[in-house]
Amino acid sequence: MTTTTTTETTTQVYQVFIKASPEQIWDALTKPEFTEKYFYGARVDSTVEVGSPWRYQGPDGSLWGDETVFEADPPNKLVVGWRSLYSPELADEPASRITWEIQAHEGSYSQLTVVHDQLDGSPKTAESVSGAGWMMVLSGLKTLLETGKPLAD
Amino acid sequence: MDDDAVFKALADPSRRLLLDLLFERDGRTLTELDAELEMTRFGVMKHLKVLEEAGLVVARKQGREKLHFLNAVPIRQIHDRWIDKYTEHRVSALLDLKNELEETA
Repeated sequence: MTTTTTTETTTQVYQVFIKASPEQIWDALTKPEFTEKYFYGARVDSTVEVGSPWRYQGPDGSLWGDETVFEADPPNKLVVGWRSLYSPELADEPASRITWEIQAHEGSYSQLTVVHDQLDGSPKTAESVSGAGWMMVLSGLKTLLETGKPLAD
Repeated sequence: MDDDAVFKALADPSRRLLLDLLFERDGRTLTELDAELEMTRFGVMKHLKVLEEAGLVVARKQGREKLHFLNAVPIRQIHDRWIDKYTEHRVSALLDLKNELEETA
């Protein structure tokens, strides 16, 4: 067998269909009044220009994230850095990368894909966001956009 | 989006095995997955296509390779829609009973 094992194991992919336009999803990702309703109460703070800071402020006012916007193509693609400052253990790990891809589909649905990669040197971060972590964010975002209400606890 | 597609995709042991394989190690090529199943390459491709259409697997190009990733969000949605609804009451009744018995113990 000549199987190549160049498999990427430090990439996580999540995908969800949301009954909303790509513009609505873009706003939900980049405006604090939306993010605080589905992102564990955190408010995003960014001008969303390439090279500008991409910050999240936790509900207690502390900085949860302070990275950079790598790519911004509204309303289709947003690439930002990620380092979890809300936990000292996770903040010690190197920054990883998050790519949001938004694609319009038929029937007024959009497909939202989140790719969290460059996690090679950040096993604790990878563990903490995997499974329920990202899924809570995505189902909260979906519920918010489809019903106008945050996901109940 | 479509519960039917998810239930249909899950109703096959080879497809469930493919999901388990990706759960163990995510981001695999067709060749890597093919090596784990006693099935033709074409058969594995067909199963992956059903899983992709149900949103349970997301294929992404990375360099020259096409990698397959597990997307558990549709399963989570089915869990929220079907499992929580039927088990919540019973589980909380049992928890109440447990608390009551332990308090009086």
